This record gives sequence, structure tokens and C-alpha cells, in this order.
Amino acid sequence: MKLLTLTNRYYMVSILPILVMGGFISYTILKGIINREFNEKLFAEKQQFIHEWHTYDNLRETLYLNVGDKIEVRAVSHDPKIKSVLSDTTMYDAFEKRLLPYRQLKFSDKLHGKYYIITITKSMLPTEELVRGVGEIILILIAGLVFSLWLVSRKISKKIWTPFNETISSLKNYQISSSTDFHFAQTAIDEFTELNRVLTQMINKSKSDYVNLKEFTENASHEIQTPLAIIKSKAELLLQEGNLKQSDLEDVAKIYEAANRLSRLKQGLSMLAKIENNQFEEVEAIDMAAFISKYLENLEELIEIKRLTVNKLFHSKPVLILNNTLAYVLINNLLNNAIKHNLEEGCITITLNNDELIIENSGRAFGGDPEKLFQRFKRKGTVTDSSGLGLSLVKKICDIYSMAISYTIQGETHRIALRF
Amino acid sequence: MNILVVEDEHHLAESIVKYLSKEGYHCEWVDNFGKATEKVHLYTYDCILVDITLPDGNGIQIIERLKKVKSQSGIIIISARNSLEDKIKGLDIGADDYLTKPFDLSELNARIKSLIRRRNFDGNNEIIFKEIEILPQERTVSIHGHQIKLTKKEYDLLLYFVSNPNRVITKESIAEHLWGDHMDMADSFDFIYAHLKNLRKKILEKGGGDYIQTVYGVGYKFTRF
Repeated sequence: MKLLTLTNRYYMVSILPILVMGGFISYTILKGIINREFNEKLFAEKQQFIHEWHTYDNLRETLYLNVGDKIEVRAVSHDPKIKSVLSDTTMYDAFEKRLLPYRQLKFSDKLHGKYYIITITKSMLPTEELVRGVGEIILILIAGLVFSLWLVSRKISKKIWTPFNETISSLKNYQISSSTDFHFAQTAIDEFTELNRVLTQMINKSKSDYVNLKEFTENASHEIQTPLAIIKSKAELLLQEGNLKQSDLEDVAKIYEAANRLSRLKQGLSMLAKIENNQFEEVEAIDMAAFISKYLENLEELIEIKRLTVNKLFHSKPVLILNNTLAYVLINNLLNNAIKHNLEEGCITITLNNDELIIENSGRAFGGDPEKLFQRFKRKGTVTDSSGLGLSLVKKICDIYSMAISYTIQGETHRIALRF
Repeated sequence: MNILVVEDEHHLAESIVKYLSKEGYHCEWVDNFGKATEKVHLYTYDCILVDITLPDGNGIQIIERLKKVKSQSGIIIISARNSLEDKIKGLDIGADDYLTKPFDLSELNARIKSLIRRRNFDGNNEIIFKEIEILPQERTVSIHGHQIKLTKKEYDLLLYFVSNPNRVITKESIAEHLWGDHMDMADSFDFIYAHLKNLRKKILEKGGGDYIQTVYGVGYKFTRF
């Protein structure tokens, strides 16, 4: 859900009851005022009537038709003692052709020893309409308010959140391995300035961590390689000594071999670290068919010596955007594995489609879960001369380029499928 | 042949000097940048081995200085850094070769020989080992004057052996020389054996001697008897 939708929702939820209540209250107050005014008017008319009734004697003889308010004068024999009684009633209106609300003021009066009951009846129609009009105005106001609120909050949000969106987009484009300095655009809003400040701090921290790690990898690599170089060279010199016993010679050879293994292991690990650090960013378009053929040629003699049959089923020529080194590590490791773990006179089938590469090879049956072989230092059996990093390198590279890789074994057929 | 070794790691330098001296080179060794610049200023060397990371400076600067005075010395960088950029940079400024630590002394020796050959005779010199005659430029091999046909790997193998005569050469070193990092070690030993068998057969067919000796559990040795 968008922040704007949410804030609007909260606004509406809090504003609506206020508006409804406000509408209701103002309606009641208005109605009350109008009512009071109306009654006052009726009483004023009563006063006026009594005044005229008592003053002008000829009124009683004159037939006077009042088309405004209806005034009824009824003579009674004894004093009814009605002071003033207000009552609402409905009467049929010939013009509107319906029943309309009226209000009556009934009172008694004594004139020249005679008693009269006088009723003044006043139509309430204008009042009713006024109240309705007021209600309608309030409703229109509510709708207008809600609409303009929604519109304004939309506009404001667009304007206010611009620096935030800019921050997001510059973060998206940020690459920790790039050496350029990182800057956010200036903003006048304190909250976003704070956000940018904290982010810049975080980025600088991560960047220095990254650089440190990179330096550490390089230093460690340097520091490990040098003693290894010493061990290796000393072992090699010892091997040249003609007077060593055969058993000593073999021991020295083992030291030499172990140093070699350690060196290769270190290379594999620093390769993994480099991949994890995204240090292989330069990419190029690689024609997979040509690329695979090229490296397969390098391995030609190994294939020959093991008397393997290679079937190349290149159905299409996909071109992928990859880093050359990583593509080499990927393909070389896969091809090497297919040869290395193959049987004598076995076969390799390389299928290349538009979106997938499948390498199948014959090999010894394997009991465990082949997917586990993607983990570091998981090997088939106890072949100690392999670094145990080959497939984890492959996996890592696939992860970087979001390719899906699967390893399945059916009997003596090992199948690695790569979807790109 | 004069060789200058610029390497701050004493034990490693010692091994290099020992191995190369046995090959008949005259080796001098310095362990820091200051001494190295002094040496290259005063003397001429056929080949200079330079470590990039020195305690008081960068080996790259020594190479730059040598290139500035148009030195004819061959330059091989020996460095623990094995990133591609480092290699490209090193070769760009004029180094002839780049070896990543840890390296095999036999490999270093072969590289130095190849470099000196290229430098001194524009690569047109022949290598003669008894009845075996190798023309590196044409990549041809003759036994008693009869040319033999070798595959690329067999040729590389022979040249590697001839460059390190009477030395025990480990299987690992041969594998790395022939295939680089392309292959896992264990597989390659079988392949080395197969290549050696063919090479030996081809030399013997033309009346050459059987110089390849197996050092059990270690590797091979190309002996003059």
C-alpha cells in the first residue's frame, strides 16, 4: 500500500465523523434558531392582533381576509382561560395540493364582556425549506472539503516525497565496488536531510568495510603465498639433492604436493571472495556456443586419453552478457567435472538451447543428494586432490547472473542443467 | 649470464639463487627497492626478477626506470598478486613475463631461459641437447638431423625438460607448465604419463637416447647420463 493511500485513509476516517457530527450539530442549532424566531414571530403577531382587535372597533364588523396567516376568532360563552398554546399541525394546502406543516398559537381574550378564542395559524413551509437548504449546503461543503483534501494531499505528497524518491533512486544505482564518491541531492526537509545523512554515514562505513575486506583478501593472499613459495622452493631444492633416500624423497614430494594444494585452495577461496565482492563487473557479450567449443578444444587431449565421446547438440547460439573470467571459470569447471568424474570410454553430451545449457556425463553412481555438491568442500567420496570448490564457484557465478542450476543423477548419468 | 633477483623474502630469494646458480647463472640478490635501483643503475643484467611488493617501494617503479633508460635486460615479475589487472599492468609497462607466487623453480628457470633466448638471438637460436636439436622459432625438433613430429604438448614437455636438465621435475610442475590452471592435478598425471610415453617413443624411433627417467613418487628427470 502506498503511504499516500494510507494517510488519506486515516484522514478520511478521522474527518468523516467530525463532518457528520458538525453537520448534525449545525443543523440542529440552525433549526433551533429558526424555530425560536418563528415562535417569536407568532407571539409578535398575537400582540399585534390584540392591539388591533382592541383598538379598531370596526374590525369586528369588517370581513377581513388575510391570505398570509390564518386567524380564527371564535366567540365563547365563558372564559376559557387560555393564555398561549403553541401546537404543530398539518393542513391541506389547495395550492401545493398536499398536507403542509403549520404552527398554531391559540389564546383567549375578553373584549366588551365577551370571551373569544383566537387561533393564529402560520405555514411552516419556508422554514422547512430553509433547514433543508442549510443541510444541503453542509453536505456540499463536506464533499468539497473531502475532495480538495484528497487533491491537496496528493499534490503535497508528490512534492514532499520528491527528495525521498531521489534518495531511493540514487541508492538503487549505487555500487559499493565503484570508486566514485557518493552524494545525495540537497533537500530542504529536515527529515530527509537526516535520512540522507544517516545513509551517507552507513554507505561510507560499508564502503570502508568493503575496502578493508578487499585489502585483507589481497594482503592475506600475499602473506600466504609467500611462505608457500618458500616451502615449495625449499622442497624443490631438496628434491634436487642426489643423496636423499627414496623414502625421504617421497616425503619431500608430499610436502611439495601439500603446498601446491594449499596454494590452489587459496586461489579458489580468493576467487570465491572476489566473486562475492562483485569484483568481476566488466561484462561483455559472449557467444556461448563458440565459448564452449573453444574451451572444449583445450580439453581435447584429456577427452582423448579417457577415450570419451563428446556429443555437441547446439540447437541455438545464445549470447549472454557475462564477465569473461567468470564465464571461463563456469564453463571450465563444468567441462572439467564432466571429464574428471567420467568413466573410461564414457560419454559427454552438451546440449545448448536458447535458454539453457545441459551437460550430461556418464559417471559412477552417487548415493547422496547431488545438490549438496554445490556446497564448499563437499566432494564425491574422498578424492583429496580436488579443491572441493569447483561446484561452489559454479553456483556462486550462477547466483550472480541469476541463472538456475540443477544437478541430478540418474543411475550412471550425471546431469547439470543451467537455465539462463 | 647475469641475473638480478629483487626479492624481500630472504628464504625464497635464497632458493632462487641456489637453483639458478646451479644452472650456471651469476646471480645477485637485493632485498629492497633502494639497493635494487642502485644495482640496476650501476650494472647491466641479462635478466632481472622483480618482486612487486617491496618494503620500501614498488617493483613497478624499478621496471619503469629500466624502461626509461632503454635497458636491454629481460624482466620477469614475481608477485604474490595473481589478479588479471596486476598481470596486465605489469606486462603493459614493459615486463616480459609474470610469475605468480608460489611458482616452481623449474618453471622460473624455463621462463628465464626462454626469455634470454628471445632477447639475445631474436629467438633464432637452436637448443642442442646431445643429438636432440630444437628450433624454438619454428617449433621443430630433430634427432640426429631427422625431424620428428611432435604434438604441441609433447613439444612443450620436451622444451621444459631440456631447459631443466638433470633436475627432478615434479609432476605438478609439469602439469602447471602444460595446462596452467585449466585442469585439476590428479587427472593430469595420467596425461603427463601418456604424453611422456609418446615423446619417449618418438625420440627412440629416430635413434635418440632414453633420457626421461622416472623419479618414483615425485616426478621425472631428464638426464644426460
